[in-house]
Amino acid sequence: MTNLITIFIVMAVANNIVLSQFLGLCPFFGVSKKLSNAVSMGMAVTLVMLISSVVTSVIYNYVLVPYDVEFMQIVLYILVIASLVQIVELAIKRTNISLYNALGIYLPLITTNCAVLGVALINSAENYTILESTASALGGGIGFTLVLIIMSGIREKLDLADTPRSMKGLPIAFITAALLALAFMGFNGMI
Amino acid sequence: MGMLGIIGILGGIGLLCGVLIFVVFKVLPKEPESLKKIEEVSRCLPGMNCGACGYPGCFAYAQALAKDKDIFFTSTCATVLQEPEMLESLEKLLDLEIDASEMDKKAVVKCYGNSKWLGQYSGVRSCKAASSLAGGPKECPYGCLGFGDCMEVCPVDAIQIDKELNVAVVDPDKCTGCGLCVRECPNNIIELVQSYANIVFLCNYGSLKNIPGRKKCDLGCLRCRKCFKVCENDAIIWNEEKGIPEFDFSKCTLCGKCIEVCPHDRLIELSDIVLKEKLGLLSKKK
Repeated sequence: MTNLITIFIVMAVANNIVLSQFLGLCPFFGVSKKLSNAVSMGMAVTLVMLISSVVTSVIYNYVLVPYDVEFMQIVLYILVIASLVQIVELAIKRTNISLYNALGIYLPLITTNCAVLGVALINSAENYTILESTASALGGGIGFTLVLIIMSGIREKLDLADTPRSMKGLPIAFITAALLALAFMGFNGMI
Repeated sequence: MGMLGIIGILGGIGLLCGVLIFVVFKVLPKEPESLKKIEEVSRCLPGMNCGACGYPGCFAYAQALAKDKDIFFTSTCATVLQEPEMLESLEKLLDLEIDASEMDKKAVVKCYGNSKWLGQYSGVRSCKAASSLAGGPKECPYGCLGFGDCMEVCPVDAIQIDKELNVAVVDPDKCTGCGLCVRECPNNIIELVQSYANIVFLCNYGSLKNIPGRKKCDLGCLRCRKCFKVCENDAIIWNEEKGIPEFDFSKCTLCGKCIEVCPHDRLIELSDIVLKEKLGLLSKKK
């Protein structure tokens, strides 16, 4: 149990997907302009990451390792994640329309998001069991959401701040991200 | 584990995924009615997700339209207006009546780019970057810089940069009037005019007094009001505040006197002709 909690916390903060592993930078800058969008995106990524990590971990542990074909993981994971997202989108659309509206365009957008694929590959590289993969994916998703929410909060305030004209928009966002990443390095002392 | 085994695994899992999607598609209950209407509306839209209507993508626009059809009048999809078939199906679906000629607009670049460069500009090749540098690298701070920010944002490639004049030129046949370039231009040079507008004013010099340290361009408007005085049909209204002529197209008889009288010819022009002339397409005109 402590092992699972450690994996969760390490993935959420110390080895944060965005700020320490630099995965999923595209949505990190693209969707962090408004807090409401950031929450939707974080929810969608967490959901997809969780489901895809469980399935890819099953495939890794029961198909790839026994047959000794680990080198196939990237191709297989892309295939599996893409079709999983399709199924999840279809299911949400047909059953819960308000959740579908809340997730909006972000669900299909992250079909092959590198953060989702990255977590699946990290799980395989670390030889995690299915349970450990679940904890790691949950940690990754929540860490991604956390960073996205922090960043969008800062950027909403920064829009009103008196930044130099040449720094407005993305340039100041890059600097903010760098400072955030420095702050997150502090979590390295936890492990 | 040979090659065939690997192909088998990959194919098997791929097939499994495909079958799973099919099963989920068939088994799950059909989507609710409200979503069906949204999808029908979205099928009538162009689907290029240009965002010119102000919504993030065509689907979001369809959602808004399905909820309140009058949105079409406030945030228009310009592409639908261009396509009579699309317009008709949307009208039928939403029970709307749309006068396309009233809402159909074209972009016009209100500058000849004639103003001289203050010095050599070697910064980022973007109008936005250049114009934020001490009022822009040209004598006229309102002039077209010709770096083509508008060209890049145009979803239908209707804008080109004329190499000789170094000015943006809109091809009226391709322009859908979406207005993306209007928002993109840092100097607000591009304006949307009704597509039936037959006369346009082509200077953007927005200040009544000369700006210290900057020379007016040779072809700029002199505020002489000759066009206003010569018009016999009251089709030209002089905007005192901005010091520019404005037009009432319903009164204009296309007599061309204002064009003749303008000391800097080509400031006022028959719009369709001027657009084509700038493109060098005049010879091809029917």
